[in-house]
Order: sequence, then C-alpha cells, then structure tokens
Amino acid sequence: MTVTKTEAPVTTASNQPHGEGEPAGSARSERLSALIQQHGALAVLVIVSLVASFSFDSFATGDNVSNMATSSAFLAIVALGMTFVIITGGIDLSVGSLFALGGVLAAWGSRYGTLVALLLPLAVCGLIGVVNGLLVARSRLAPFIVTLAAMLGARGLLLAVTDEGAETFLIGKGSLLAELGQGTTLGLGNPVWITLALFVAGAVVLRRTRFGQHVYAVGGNEDAAALMGAPVARTKILVYTLSGLLAGLAGALNAAWLASGVTILGNGMELEAISAVVIGGTLLTGGLGYVSGSLVGVLLLKVIQNVINQIGSLDSSYQQVVSGAFLAVVVIAQTWLGRRRQLM
Amino acid sequence: MQRTTHRPRLLARPGLVALAAAVALTASACAKSEDDASKDTKSPAAAGAEQKVVTPKPGSKSCTVDAYGGEKLDLKGATVGFSQSEKEANPFRIAETQSIKDEAKKRGVKLLTANAQSQFSKQISDVQDLLAKGADLLVIAPLNSDGWDPVLQAAAAKKVPIVTIDRKINATACKDYVSFIASDFVEQGRRAADQMIEATGGKGEVAILLGAAGNNVTTERTKGFKERVAEKAPDLKVVFEQTGDFAREKGQQVTEQLIQSKPGIKGIYAENDEMGLGAVAALKGAGKKAGDIKIVTVDGTRNAVQGIVDGWISGVIESNPRFGPLAFQTLDTFTKGEAVPQDIIIQDGAYSTDNAKSEIGKAY
Repeated sequence: MTVTKTEAPVTTASNQPHGEGEPAGSARSERLSALIQQHGALAVLVIVSLVASFSFDSFATGDNVSNMATSSAFLAIVALGMTFVIITGGIDLSVGSLFALGGVLAAWGSRYGTLVALLLPLAVCGLIGVVNGLLVARSRLAPFIVTLAAMLGARGLLLAVTDEGAETFLIGKGSLLAELGQGTTLGLGNPVWITLALFVAGAVVLRRTRFGQHVYAVGGNEDAAALMGAPVARTKILVYTLSGLLAGLAGALNAAWLASGVTILGNGMELEAISAVVIGGTLLTGGLGYVSGSLVGVLLLKVIQNVINQIGSLDSSYQQVVSGAFLAVVVIAQTWLGRRRQLM
Repeated sequence: MQRTTHRPRLLARPGLVALAAAVALTASACAKSEDDASKDTKSPAAAGAEQKVVTPKPGSKSCTVDAYGGEKLDLKGATVGFSQSEKEANPFRIAETQSIKDEAKKRGVKLLTANAQSQFSKQISDVQDLLAKGADLLVIAPLNSDGWDPVLQAAAAKKVPIVTIDRKINATACKDYVSFIASDFVEQGRRAADQMIEATGGKGEVAILLGAAGNNVTTERTKGFKERVAEKAPDLKVVFEQTGDFAREKGQQVTEQLIQSKPGIKGIYAENDEMGLGAVAALKGAGKKAGDIKIVTVDGTRNAVQGIVDGWISGVIESNPRFGPLAFQTLDTFTKGEAVPQDIIIQDGAYSTDNAKSEIGKAY
C-alpha cells in the first residue's frame, strides 16, 4: 500500500498538514474541490438523514438516534485509529480481530475488577499494534501483509482463550464496567461520550501537535519527510500502536455494553472501518485526511443500515449494495478531484 | 511543477482505490456464515410438514402476560418484528424466513424483517431498529446465545414480548423473553448417534464436524451424540472433532484434512447438512466411493436427503425450520392473556435408506 505514494497538494508535503485548514491555492475551483473532499460525506449524511426524517416517523426519534449513536460508537473508535494509519499511507487489517480479542479479554478480566478489564485488552492489543508497527517501520514489510498476519494471529489467540469460541465470559450485572458500557449520561450512552472525547483528542493531536504533522508528512512523501528530519519509523510505530490500542478499547467497551465477551464479533470490521475512513475523505494513498470525516463516514454507514431497516421489507443485502455504491462514488470523486487539482 | 512525474502516479491511484472498493464490496463474502448457496432447492416452506409440539413434560413452566409484565393486545392489528441471524442462502434459513413471512401473511399481521448477515453487532442494532420502528412483538432467531443485554433492556423498557426460535438466548425465561421454540438438539445428537451406530455396526473410529461456536445448538448436538455413543457403542471412538462453522466449504476443507490425517475413519457425523454435503464433496474429490465412509447429518434439507438416495449419506435427522405457525400461535395465545410454555420443543422426523425416497417431498 505504501508503494504508490500520491501527494495531495504537492508543494507542502511536510510543513503544512492538510487537515481541516485552508487549502493552499487560492483558485476558487481548487477550494471547491477541497470542500467536496472534506465535507462531501457530511453533506450526503445530512441529506440522507433529512430525507429519512421526512419519510419515516420513527427515524428522528430520541430512541432511534440514541441507538444509532451507541451502536456506531465502537466502529467509530476503531475508525479513529484507522484514520491515523491510512494518513501515513498504511493500512491495518488486524483491527477486527483485535476488537473481538479486546472484548473477550475485558470480559475475562472483569472478574478481577474494572481496572484489569480495561487494562488487559489495552496491553495485549497495544502490544500487537507495536509489533505491527515495528514490522512495518523497521523491517519495511508491507502493512497489508503484516496486519493480515496479525488479524489471523489475534483471532487464533481469541480461540485459544475461549476454548475454540465455545466459552463466553460474562460481565457481572451492575458492575462498574457494565455501567460504563450500558449507562447513559444526558440521554446518550456512555460509549458515545467516550467516543466523542476520543475524536476531539484525535483531532487535536492530528492538527496541533508535532506528531500529527509527522503523520501527514510520512503519508505525503516519506522520503521528503525523512530528509526534513521527521522520525518516519517512530511515527509509523506509533500509529499502528494507537490503532491497536483503540481497537482493543472499542472491543472492551463493546463487551461492557453487551455484558459478555462475544466470540464471533469483528469479522469484516476492518473493512467497514476502512470504508468509513475513505468515505470520510481520507485518501487511501495517504497524506490527506480528516478525523471528523471518519466519524461522518461511520455515521453514514449506520444511517444507511438504519434506513434499510426502516423500510422494513427490503432485503438487508441491499445495505451492502448501497454501502458499496457509496464507497465507489466517493473514491471515484476523490480520484477525479485529485486529478483536477493536479492539472491546475 | 513536475507534472510529468506525477501523471503516472495518479494513474496508479484509481487502481488502488478500485481495489479497496472491491475488497469492501466482497466484505460480505468474507463473513463466516452458513452460506454455501444451494438455491437450486427452492422448495416452498409451506409445502413441507408443519412443526408439531412434543407433549410438554410434566412440570415444565409456563408464562403469561401478567407474569411477564406486558399488556394484552390483538395479534391481528399488531406489528411483529423478525430478526434473522444468517443470510437466506442455506436451505434452513430460506425455509425458516419463508415460513415466518407466510404465516404473517396468512394471519394478516404486519411483519418487519431484518437480516444480520451473520454479523452479531448488526443483529443487535437490527432488533433495536425493529423496536424503534414500532414492533409490538419480536421473533428472534439469535446468531449467538450471549450478548443480548442491550436488546433485552430496550424490549423490557417498551414491554415488548420476545419469542426466540432455533437458538437460545442465555437469559431468564418469562422475564427477559417469553418462550424459546426449538428442536431438542441433545435428542437430535442422540438420534444421529443411533444412526451412526447402525451404519458402522458400532465399531471403529468416527469424526465430528462441529457447528459454529458460541451457541447452544453446537454444544447440544455434540453432547447428545457423545452420550449415546458412550452408552450404546463403547467400541465406536470419536477420534476427530473440528468446527466446520455450519458451512459447506468449511465442512469440505475439514474433511479433506480429516481423510489425510485419519485414513482409517469409518464415519463422519456432521452437525448440519451443509457441512455433510461438504464432506461428500471432499470424499468424492479423494476418489472414495459412496458408502465407503458413513455420513450422518442433521437438518433434513432436500440435497442431503437426495444424498441418502444416492448412497453417499447414511442418515439425516430432521431439524424442522418451519417456525412460522408455532411462533405466531405462541404470540397469539400469549397476547390473549393465556399461558404459553417457556420451552416449546418441536418434534423432528428422520430420514434413512428406508424412507428417503418416499419422503423426500417433506425435505426443504
């Protein structure tokens, strides 16, 4: 995945993160392109939500919105980590397995208290993230293969812990952990607030810190970034670690929500996360991306699923068709916008 | 600036993104499920035998609206939400969903459906969506037995009664859900063991292709089989157990490994027909002849019963998927205020060389 390094706006590979700030050129159409790239998904989300609100009485209800928010929260946390990885030009296929493993470890650890239940999945999934990062950055292996191996390995670990998936660990009702997953604050589930806090933190890190600048620089042009003194290897190790940590945390929170370490979760979740990130305007080739876009991407996927259930009689296979079509439209638009910008 | 150098790179980008799109589009194909399409057997669910209830055992508990804490209502004007766990790609799921749809139509009940496509998190939000959409009653075919807390809480808050079919939800009957309708899976395992003992003469080594992990069906079908073998044929040894995830291609893969590692195997017990048909494919591929290795499966799909006729399969224990009439009957009785049993066990048939030809019409 790192081979084809495209540079979004070319001139400023390293010294200016192409985050949510002003685009470099002043030409109006360039600004329009950037606007579509960054906010296109948001516009679609708003339109789809509005149409759904007018079409279905039960769409814009407190219950429905709160349900959608809670069930999106876990994928959103995974997508946050994925955003960092993809901006560096990498990919992390291990997150679905880490999500499931994190949930099982949290449920298993819950017998020793909430602290263990949260720290154990973070430690294990974070460690797998570190290994991913080391193999990608130091051994210069392709992220696709490294994280594919981690995906299989983590799933195997999960099966080993759960007696081939036959044993499901439960989280005691009324425990602090269950409260963390199932409780609500101001009408929204606790996982939603945790997710929002993580996204704010993620946006600040990406846009306002040196590490964030390095993430963009590495994805924009790795060689240039290295020449300018950015710690390429360290940055890569950090993003894969972050991705592992967030996948483990999302799994732990999800287990707390379900009150059990369900063993069959997370299949295909890595692809959902990648779809959400790409729909949110982050370039799969790296160098350009937005944390907020990924959140919008997750919500868009969730709203599509909800609308198809709202219709009620429609075969849910169509959800995948619609999600796939959205993704195709977004990548085609991105390619087109990118080419236009190049020609200018 | 360096436009010429950038053009080729740009051309590379659509290829890459198209790959990503393709990967995402095939995401469904990667999900584990009982999804080996066998759509050639489009038998209408209604044509087969309707489910019959085994006489409830004395002392089995019942549930009423008052005990559950709900309200009486008329099923005719109600909205029923149905959440299916797996894709309607395998005959069992096709027949199950069709039976629910047919019965809803027959009774003039408004039915909302959702299919989780074997994704458990999707099933949780599916059921929540059905509740938000205004379902008064729920019929759930659970993918997994644990992890239902958010759904049960939401349903309890709205006082929506839940009936679960085919797999169980690990929760309290008549508090978290009303009734559980299913076959006696332990008994299915025992009857499969009987057929295996008969086919192999009660001697030799046999293998088990286990179902998917994390649900009661797999554990109970395994338990019944092993119990009966230990009790009636101690010379029959289970030497190999591996999961085939209830899927045909996985059943085939595992069987291919099996005949490599245990060439002397005499019988294979597949915990559903799809895996059994996968095993048949593997044996054919390895040059075995029909009847060399005895196969016993559970489900009663048309392809498997045809397998008996063709000589590849020795016996099939039925697991009747036509839950519609019984599920709606239970909801009707319950919402009228009368008592319904908490565990409703259905009666299953069996197919062997004696009746496969004459009764294939009952298979689905």
